[in-house]
Amino acid sequence: MAAVQDGPMELDAEKEAKPEILSDGTSNLSGNTASGTLSSSPLTAAPAGGAPKMEDQQTLIAVLQFLKRNKLSESVEILRREAGLGEHQEGSQATDGSGGGKGDGDGGDANSLLSRVSITSAAAPQSMPVKSDCIINIFRCDLPFMFMLSEDQPDVSVVLSAYSQQGDPPLYQVYYSGLKNFIESVLDCHRAELSQLFYPLFVHMYLELVYNNHETEAKAFFDKFSGDQECYYQDDLHILCGLTKKEHLKGNEVLLDFRTSRFVLHISRDSYQLLKRHLQERHNNQIWNIIQEHLYIDIFDGMPRSKSQIDSMSGSLAGEAKREVNKAKVFYGLLKEPEIEVPLDDEDDEAENEEGKPKKKKTKKDSLGSKSKKQDPNAPQQNRIPLPELKDSDKLDKIMYMKESTKRIRLGPENLPSICFYTFLNAFQGLTAVDFTDDSSLLAGGFADSTVRVWSVTPKKLRKVKSAGELNVIEKESDDVLERIMDEKTASESKILHGHSGPVYGVSFSPDRNYLLSSSEDGTVRLWSLQTFTCLVGYKGHNYPVWDTHFSPFGYYFVSGGHDRVARLWATDHYQPLRIFAGHLADVTCTRFHPNSNYVATGSTDRTVRLWDVLNANCVRILTGHKGPIHSLAFSPNGKFLASGSTDGRVLLWDIGHGLMIGELKGHTDTIYALKFSRDGEILASGSMDNTVRLWDSMKAFDEVETDDFTATTGHIHLPDNSQELLLGMYHSKSTPVTHLHFTRRNLLLAAGAYNSQ
Amino acid sequence: MASPKTVPKDAQVMMQILKDMGITEYDPRVINQMLEFTYRYVTTIIEDAKIYSTHAKKSNVDADDIRLAIQCRVDQSFTSPPPRDFLLDIARQKNQTPLPLIKPYTGPRLPPDRYCLTAPNYRLKFLQKKVSSSVGRITVPRLSVGAVSSRPSTPTLGTPSVQTVGTKVGTPVSLTGQRFTVQIPSSQTLTVRSKAPTPTTPTVQNVLINPSLMGSKNILITTNMVSQNSSSDSTSLKRKHEDEDDYDAL
Repeated sequence: MAAVQDGPMELDAEKEAKPEILSDGTSNLSGNTASGTLSSSPLTAAPAGGAPKMEDQQTLIAVLQFLKRNKLSESVEILRREAGLGEHQEGSQATDGSGGGKGDGDGGDANSLLSRVSITSAAAPQSMPVKSDCIINIFRCDLPFMFMLSEDQPDVSVVLSAYSQQGDPPLYQVYYSGLKNFIESVLDCHRAELSQLFYPLFVHMYLELVYNNHETEAKAFFDKFSGDQECYYQDDLHILCGLTKKEHLKGNEVLLDFRTSRFVLHISRDSYQLLKRHLQERHNNQIWNIIQEHLYIDIFDGMPRSKSQIDSMSGSLAGEAKREVNKAKVFYGLLKEPEIEVPLDDEDDEAENEEGKPKKKKTKKDSLGSKSKKQDPNAPQQNRIPLPELKDSDKLDKIMYMKESTKRIRLGPENLPSICFYTFLNAFQGLTAVDFTDDSSLLAGGFADSTVRVWSVTPKKLRKVKSAGELNVIEKESDDVLERIMDEKTASESKILHGHSGPVYGVSFSPDRNYLLSSSEDGTVRLWSLQTFTCLVGYKGHNYPVWDTHFSPFGYYFVSGGHDRVARLWATDHYQPLRIFAGHLADVTCTRFHPNSNYVATGSTDRTVRLWDVLNANCVRILTGHKGPIHSLAFSPNGKFLASGSTDGRVLLWDIGHGLMIGELKGHTDTIYALKFSRDGEILASGSMDNTVRLWDSMKAFDEVETDDFTATTGHIHLPDNSQELLLGMYHSKSTPVTHLHFTRRNLLLAAGAYNSQ
Repeated sequence: MASPKTVPKDAQVMMQILKDMGITEYDPRVINQMLEFTYRYVTTIIEDAKIYSTHAKKSNVDADDIRLAIQCRVDQSFTSPPPRDFLLDIARQKNQTPLPLIKPYTGPRLPPDRYCLTAPNYRLKFLQKKVSSSVGRITVPRLSVGAVSSRPSTPTLGTPSVQTVGTKVGTPVSLTGQRFTVQIPSSQTLTVRSKAPTPTTPTVQNVLINPSLMGSKNILITTNMVSQNSSSDSTSLKRKHEDEDDYDAL
């Protein structure tokens, strides 16, 4: 699509009209070489006289036709009214601009449209008149329609987001080198920030060349500049260098999303002014156009960031997170525990009273709930999301839990937990998922041969319920009927569950130990009963491998995440998901519930961790900073903090309330697949493919966080490099990668992994 | 790694591709698997392209045919997940409905039965020799299995010939509420197949449990070979369940 000043406008072909509008718009933007005014000014069309005026009219008519065709009558009226008032180029330009922004992803956020337009208007000294607001209002009220349309007419959205030709292909190298030279010449303090531009610009320019079928130029461009990029983007560059043709782009969803979503950069105002001034002085500021179209620059007032600060936050596929995204209120407190009367049981109790435990003499109330009678302001309402009521068996479980917790060992830097390692022998690298029940009585393993095996960790064997015939003859009124219904003849230490047709990548026990969930490469999540050891339900929804699944801490709900880039919230009694958490740019590899069951954290291959609200599936936090796909997540028991581990060997600690990174634990040399906080949150254990389990002092890591106003608003924190101090212990296994970690109720650490004989 | 002299050129190319994609550690058999995949994929595409070109009455296969072949295969075998805007749209629709309230005091919370895997997926079938004591029953016709499958509107015809079954089978049988179709034996062949009244070994009759007709009760649909008049000329112990296999359509 060559950018021609008086490009032909075929109004009969609506679809072509749209890209024509885009190229038209950009031709207006780029065509301004004569005047020294800002090229992005919408009024550049004016000096050209009659021809652009006609063009804008045609543009308006084209837009009108498009809206009419898609039955957006309201917008048609408004546009007709506004446009009928006169040929204001601002209006048409804004239409182009907003039209161009239409294809951008992220749910058609009107804010992003506005911000984009406001960046444009910041460039133009003349403020955008009311026209632009009207046009934006049109699009805002019809946004839902727009996106349903893009479903019926995928070509349109693709076309809208298509790359228009920004200039001569061979000149791309010139532009890029020009920018490089400029950035190398600025002051040190700005250089680090402006260097963030290199990677997104490089990728977008390369993809543009590929998309417009300039294969040789693309290859030359890639060869020349790929070496300059940051080391943590190497994996992406590998994928890119295999993409040389337009057809290659079609199947690659991740890159398609990259093209349509906007890469977010945080740049301080001073650096941004420098950049803007430089780019707008030049005659051919293609780079400025690309920045406007594909990048989102979140400007903050304050000191420019240092390289290390930037490095710690960057690395994700979509850049960093916009600041306003992380501003929503998150109720990270725990739900109040129900009051349960615990019957006195003298022979079980310890002789001495540990601190914080209620005295033996009176009936024990639930020590966790009674401390604060009033509502924790950070905790969600009890009925914010419907939760299952407590059954009698649940109450008994809770009593057991409280009894066990009185015997819990208090861990700390001087008091490290003992680690008991469960090694799976003869698994031949087929062990793909492990889970323990909360009371550590059962262990489940998911395997690459599509079986799930359940073992009993205690001497008590696994029993299943008798068959219907035998159940008829037992005495139903006896006291131990619950034991009588169990079949002694087939009691065994382990049971095998068959049913999946692909490797099982995630297993999760329900809190009441009645159910087991398993998610597999065949796209289904299966619910197994642990009383009959048979499969009860297969939940079909993801049609692609499901990488992880997790039961809610109160049962009934579970979440699953897979290759289709979404996580789904299910309830055991609905065959379809209740919520769909869409937003990640690449596969969702890890899903975890928050202890209060109101939020779900998902880690993804796009190197971000997102926190979703169960109530309305809004994404309330986007946490960037990892340099590789995230494979493990762990919430602290008090619900305030989240730890995440990825293939880059780092564990990052996040404060959920503020959405800030508060710690970075370096030390592992390979992917971290297991993360667990101890029962009181004092110690974080991490297990990785490098055959080690490391223990970190999380109390200290969380204490050292100071959040002043600046960090709270901008999210830029300076992390102390204290991984060595926080490391409390490192334990090697002989050659067994650690797949799962679990703290028992008494704070004994259990680890599981499959022996790897190579 | 084998020396370049002995490794065929294709394998060398494959090794180079793996190296370019950044994969440095792999089992040696991966090369073979990749080559096999490549060969199979290319062959499939070229064969498809040949079909398209002959359909278009072209003499040679050209690039358009290949392109078409690739496009068709991509939709079949290498599907990719739905695009992001589609996902965002269906997510928006699904997320608008509020979370359903949880009914209290229900048992195991599972979806409706048709979405569960809890229905039995088997039928029991065993042969039972008819005892001659039932010779008195004249009019009981035989039941054919085949008709069973037309379950919705089976007429019930019930003389309790099933009583005999009850005694033989020994498993708890609920005789109430059964449904079975009855086929009056009209042809000779049927009579041929009836058993000889040798009561020596009560072989098991054909018993059919058709779970889809009921909830939890066992239905026994018995093929009861009763007609006494033909008992004499039957091939005595011919097992008749082979015929039932013919009607095994369900």
